[in-house]
Amino acid sequence: MHICPRCESNRSEVVSKSPVEGAWEVLLCPVCMFTWRTSEPDSITDPAKYKSAFKVDPRDIPNAIHVPLIAERRQDRS
Amino acid sequence: MAYKDFRDFLHTLEKEGQLLTISDEVKPEPDIAAANRALNNLGDKTPALFFNNIYGYTDARIAMNVMGSWPNHALMMGMPKNTPLKEQFFEFARRYEQFPVPVQREETAPFHEVEITEDINLFDILPLFRLNQGDGGFYLDKAILISRDLDDPDTYGKQNVGLYRMQVKGKNRLGIQPVPQHDIAIHIRQAEERGENLKVAIALGCEPVITTAASTPLLYDQSEYEMAGAIQGEPYRVVKAKDADLDLPWGAEVILEGEVLAGVREYEGPFGEFTGHYSGGRAMPVIQINRVYHRKQPIFEHLYIGMPWTETDYMIGVNTSVPLFQQLKDAFPNEIVAVNAMYTHGLVAIISTKTRYGGFAKAVGMRALTTPHGLGYCKLVIVVDEDVDPFNLPQVMWALSTKLHPKHDAVIVPGLSVLPLDPGSDPAGMTHKMILDATTPVAPDIRGHYSQPLDSPLGVADWEKKLSQMLR
Ligand SMILES: [Zn+2]
Repeated sequence: MHICPRCESNRSEVVSKSPVEGAWEVLLCPVCMFTWRTSEPDSITDPAKYKSAFKVDPRDIPNAIHVPLIAERRQDRS
Repeated sequence: MAYKDFRDFLHTLEKEGQLLTISDEVKPEPDIAAANRALNNLGDKTPALFFNNIYGYTDARIAMNVMGSWPNHALMMGMPKNTPLKEQFFEFARRYEQFPVPVQREETAPFHEVEITEDINLFDILPLFRLNQGDGGFYLDKAILISRDLDDPDTYGKQNVGLYRMQVKGKNRLGIQPVPQHDIAIHIRQAEERGENLKVAIALGCEPVITTAASTPLLYDQSEYEMAGAIQGEPYRVVKAKDADLDLPWGAEVILEGEVLAGVREYEGPFGEFTGHYSGGRAMPVIQINRVYHRKQPIFEHLYIGMPWTETDYMIGVNTSVPLFQQLKDAFPNEIVAVNAMYTHGLVAIISTKTRYGGFAKAVGMRALTTPHGLGYCKLVIVVDEDVDPFNLPQVMWALSTKLHPKHDAVIVPGLSVLPLDPGSDPAGMTHKMILDATTPVAPDIRGHYSQPLDSPLGVADWEKKLSQMLR
C-alpha cells in the first residue's frame, strides 16, 4: 500500500513494473484514479510537495459533475 | 498518394528531413513531454520526434509531433513540404469536395500479428507517460475511437471515427471525455437508453489522413473513412473488428477493442487541454478493454497538448477551417473567399468575404455562429474584405486597425452556446459572442474615408510568382 500524492488515500497499488528491473513502478490510486511513476519528480510523487491547486479531497469525488449525464432508460423498447 | 500505414508516413518524414530521432536515453517523465514542448516553442516548421531509448523500457518506441508543423501537414496531404499554408487550405477544400470516396475492405491487417485477450495490462503493453504536471494520469490523446449509431446502424456515415482524450485508469480500463457536442456522446446516450454497453474500438499509431478526418468537424452522418479517401485521393483501407461490427484503419499499430460501460461515471482528469488550461476533474464514462492486438514492436504515437501552439493546432487548423468555409459558401456562394478558424480550434475565426451591400459582413458573421462547428466555437468572428488574406495575421490586424469603427462594427450576441472546455465560459458551456466587422463599408453604409486605398507598383503579381519560384 502506498499514499496517493493527490488525494492522500493509502490504497494505491502497483499496476506495472519497468521491463528493466528496478527502474520504476507505476502506481494507481483507486480513490481518485491518480496514476504516477515512482521515477517522476517529487513534485508529482510526494504528497507534501504535490501542487495544492491540484489536490483532490476524496469527499468531493462522489459529487463530481457527470459529463455527460447518464441517460434515462427508454421505456418504449423492452 | 495514400500512405500504406503509420510507418510508411514516418519513412516519408525521415526522407524529407522532418523526423528527428532521439537516441540518447530519456526519462518517460518529464523528458518526453518537455522535449515536445520545447520543440513546439521553436516555430512552425519543426520535425516529428522519435524516441527509441527510454529509461526502464527495453524496446519501447514513441513517435510524437508527427503532424506538428506546416511542412508535416503538407506531407500528410502528399504535397511538397514547403507548400504555403493558404495553398494547403485551398487544396484541402478541393479534396473535401470529392467526398465521399467508398472504403476498400481487407480481410487481414498487419496489427493481427500479436493478439491478447487475457490478463490485459495496458500499462505493460503501451509505453504510457504523463504530459503535463497537473494531469491526473497517463493518457491516450492521439488514438482514434470508432463506434456506431445504435438507432440507425446501417447508415454507413453514422459510424463515428473520432479523436477523444482517454485516461488509462486501470489495467484494462480507460476514462473518456465525451463533451455533448461530440458524436460519441450521442452513441453513449443511445446505449444507455437501452441499458446496454456501447461497443467501441480504439486505433493507435494511424497514418495521418484518418487522424485528420477523425479530427475534422464533419456532419454527423458523414463518414470519416470516406472523407479520408477523399483527402488521400483513393479508397481508404479498412478491416473489421473482431468483437463488433466496426471498421478499423488497416494501417494502425495497435488496436484495443472494448465497451463503454452503461450507466458508469468515474472521476477523470484533470488534463492539460488545447485551450492552454487544465480541464477540471469530472465524472466521465469508462471503457473496459477486452481485446488487444498489435504489430510486433509497435510504435506508440502520442502528442503533446498544452498552451497553443502544439501539434493539436496544426492537426485541427486547416481541417476546422474547411468545413466552416464550405458551410458558409452554401449560404453565400458568390462572396465567401476563405476562412481561417485555426485559433484554438476555431474559438476565433477569421472570414474573408466580398460584401454585397451595407451590413452584409455582419450577416456572414452571424451565419458562422450558427454553423454546426460555430455552435461550440466561433466566440470571436472577424470578418475581413476579399483582398485580405485571413491566414496573414498582419493583414488581418491592418484591417482591424483601419476598417473597424467600434461604435458600428463590434456586435455582441449574448447567451450563446460554446464548448464547456472554454475556460472563459460562464456557466461552463455558455458565453456571449462577438463579431468584429473589419470590412470596408459599402452603400448604403457610407462611413469613413475609404475612397483612396493604396495601390501597388505595376507588375507585382508577376514578380511574386517569379521570386517565389526562385526561392523554392
Ligand atoms: Zn488518490
